[in-house]
Parts: sequence; C-alpha cells; structure tokens
Amino acid sequence: MLTHNSPIQLQNLFFSLHAITIFFSFIAFSVASVAAALYLIQDNLLKNKKVGLISNQLPNLLFLDKLNYRSIGLGFPILTLSIIIGFIWNKYVRGIYWSYNPREIYSLILWLIYALILHVRLSAKLRGKKVAQWSLFAFCIIIFTLFGNCR
Amino acid sequence: VDLMVVGINHRTAPVEIREKFSFNAKQIVEVNRLLRDKASLEENLILSTCNRMEIYAVGNHCKDHVNNIENFLSQFHNLDILDYKDRLYVYKGREAIEHLFKVATGLDSMVIGEMEILGQVKKAYQDARKSRTVGKVLNRLFEKAFNTAKKVRTETSINRGAISVSSVAVRLAKKILGQLHDKKVLVIGAGKVGEQLVVYLKKEGIESILVTNRTFEKAESLAATFVATAVPFEDFRPRLAETDIIITSTGAPHYILHKDEMLSLMPLRKQRPLFIIDLAVPRDVDAEINKIDNIYLYDIDDLQKTVDETYVHRKNELDDCLKIIVSSSQNFINWLSSERLVDEK
Repeated sequence: MLTHNSPIQLQNLFFSLHAITIFFSFIAFSVASVAAALYLIQDNLLKNKKVGLISNQLPNLLFLDKLNYRSIGLGFPILTLSIIIGFIWNKYVRGIYWSYNPREIYSLILWLIYALILHVRLSAKLRGKKVAQWSLFAFCIIIFTLFGNCR
Repeated sequence: VDLMVVGINHRTAPVEIREKFSFNAKQIVEVNRLLRDKASLEENLILSTCNRMEIYAVGNHCKDHVNNIENFLSQFHNLDILDYKDRLYVYKGREAIEHLFKVATGLDSMVIGEMEILGQVKKAYQDARKSRTVGKVLNRLFEKAFNTAKKVRTETSINRGAISVSSVAVRLAKKILGQLHDKKVLVIGAGKVGEQLVVYLKKEGIESILVTNRTFEKAESLAATFVATAVPFEDFRPRLAETDIIITSTGAPHYILHKDEMLSLMPLRKQRPLFIIDLAVPRDVDAEINKIDNIYLYDIDDLQKTVDETYVHRKNELDDCLKIIVSSSQNFINWLSSERLVDEK
C-alpha cells in the first residue's frame, strides 16, 4: 500500500502526473479567464453604447460566454484529478494526505469556486456578466496559488 | 486619343430626370454598339444604374465626340438635350480618369464608400466587352479602376461601419446574441423603421417573429406582410421569456416595459441575454432596464448616433482615398504616354 517507503520512481511518476495535470488545467483556466475578460470589455462597451471599432473587433458575447464556460468545464475535471494525485503524492512523501499547507488550502478554495461557477452556470441561475466576473476572480486566486506561495 | 466621360447622376439630377437617361440592362450590349457607330467612337462603355448614367468614351481625330454623344442621347431617348445641358457633366483626360476611380470606389455614391457600385461597374464593363466596344484604353482603365477600388478598400476603412439604423441594430444583435437564425423576435407596435428592421432580421435567417399591437387587426396585417404570428396585445407578456429580441414602436404615452417586470423575467429566461430596441418617441421602455445584467437596451437616438459616427468616420477617410485615387490616375496617365497614346503629363 501507499507508504512513505514507496519506491522513488513511483513518487516521481505521481509528481510528474500532478505537474502535468496542473499545467493543463492552468491552460484551460487561462483560456477561460481571457474569454471572461473580453466578455466584460464587450459587455461594458455594449451597455454604454460605445459600439465603434473595438466592439466590432471583439467576438460576440454568446461566443465568449460559451468559451469561458466550456474552458472551465474542461479545466475543472483536470484540476480535480490533479488534486487527487496531489493527495496521493503527499501520502507517498509525507505519509499523510493533507498537511494544511497554504498551497493545499488555496487549491481547495479554487476547486470550490470553480465548482460553484459550474453549478450556477449549469443550473442557469447565473450567466454572462456575473459568471465572467467570478471566473476572473478565480483566476486571480490561481495566480496567487501558483506564484504567491512559491518559496 | 481623347478620353472622356459624359454623364448625369444623383447630384446633378433628381430621379425624374435620371430615369429619362437610363438604359435598360437587357439592351446595353446592343446600345454600346449603336453608340460607337453613331458617335464614331473608338471605344465606349455605358454605365447605367439607378443613381447614374455615364458614358465613358475614347475618340480620335479631334472630332467633337461630346457633341456626338449628346446627340446620340437625345435621339435615343427622344429628348431635347438643350433642356438638360446643365444636368450633364463632361470630364476629360485626368478628370475623367479620377471620376471613374471615385465612382468605382463608391466615393461618388449617395452613401459614401458603399460597395454595391463596384459590382455595377464590373457588370457594365462585362457588357461592354460583350459588345466589343472596349479596346486597349478602356480595358486598361477599368482594370485599373477595379485595382484602385480594391486598394482603397484594403488600405482605408471607408466602407466600415453601419449606415442605417436597421443595419446598426442587426450588427448589435449579432454582437449580443451571436448567430441570429434561431433567435425569436417580438415586435410591439407598428412603425416604418421597425418594419425595415424586421426585413433586415429576416435576411439574417430569423424565422420566429411575433407581432402584437393594440388594435389586433393591425397586428394581423403586419404579421401577414412579415410571414409572422400575430398575438393579441393582452397576451404578449407571457411570451417575453422566450424572446431574444424585442422591438417596440408603439404610440403609447407611457412605458410598455417596466424595470420590475424585466427583473423578474430574467430568472425565467435563465439569464439568457435580451436585446431590446426601442424605436418609439416617447420611449416605450424604461431606460433603467439597461442596468439589468444581460439586458441591452438601445433607443432610436443610440442607434442614430452610431450611424452619424459612421458618416463622420467615412468623411475623415476621404483624404486618404483621394490620395490613392490621384496616384492611380497618375499611373494610368504615365501608361498612356508610354504607349504614345497621349502627350499629357
């Protein structure tokens, strides 16, 4: 079973898997947040009747909303997988699944926020502007988790 | 050689006069040949659209070709050319070349920068080729005109922007809702602009259109013209939840759509975006509604302002377009002199 005496190769494998999945979920969430940012810009222009060149060059709201939602829909399961692998790796190296370090806590918060976004979007309680704002907020936490905690 | 254009257009004459000079599209090929023989021209091409009738001609031997062309026009159309002398314009040499380039790029059109005219010029050129009345000079000239039009279109933004309230509204609808063909439209009240807008939306493939009016007969007759469904005025509110575009143009002195109603509507429509176009004066829709998330409300002034901006923008682009045209003309004149067809500089 999983103990901290497990072979070093297995530890490396889990660490690589963890890093790769984190990387791919990061890509997906990056796409989502770019879409969200563009959504908010386009929404603002359309609301304020500034329909000149910029609005014309930006994609339409429906497309941006879908891109944001689908990217999160793709990134979320990968993030979930990554967190599970992270637990396992933790168990290998430290002998426990959860060690209350800030990175783990932020990851969990992040996971909860994306779960919430997916829930409100799927249940059609929110759409468009609010979802875009939430997903930008979540991305700020990602940046914080990735770079703010590097020691 | 002598290169000239004799013409009449929307600037010099109203439609009642222009139509007297216009040629039937079906007979153009014949008329080109007839014109060449009667006016003893070397090359000629007739451009006849609803806004202009122009004859581009190349002649020789220092004859009075303009006079010949005018005589031909008066004979063919059976009118006294003296009555219309001040309506007709004549350009020669460089002026004629620049004029054609302006026409082909839409700078001489009623709506500056419109591109429909280019297709009409191309058609006129094809017809003239069929008549075999174009030769070395006009072939080269029109090729140059098409190149210039292309250049103007790619290097300036003269044709950018929407030029009518309806086209602005359609563009906005696409920015908000994406593809329009599966969207649902509700028209409240009858009005000219609203009707035109529905025609534009139908061109985008919209099929589901509901029409309502205080007098149901009016709604029914409108529905018949749009191939739409008429709804009694009392019954339109439950349909709002499934609607994507609302067009209002009633004569009501008060608001038809209120903020509270729309706030409670959004959860019912699962927050899907809603585009409201208020064409009525006084307005039919409370302006506060624009503050609700995922609702985009435009009134007639908002739309008109965008149209005005397009015109200002196009006027600003004119200088750049003219520069391209002047340099293209110079190129063409250089070619003419290199071919020893003209000694003009």
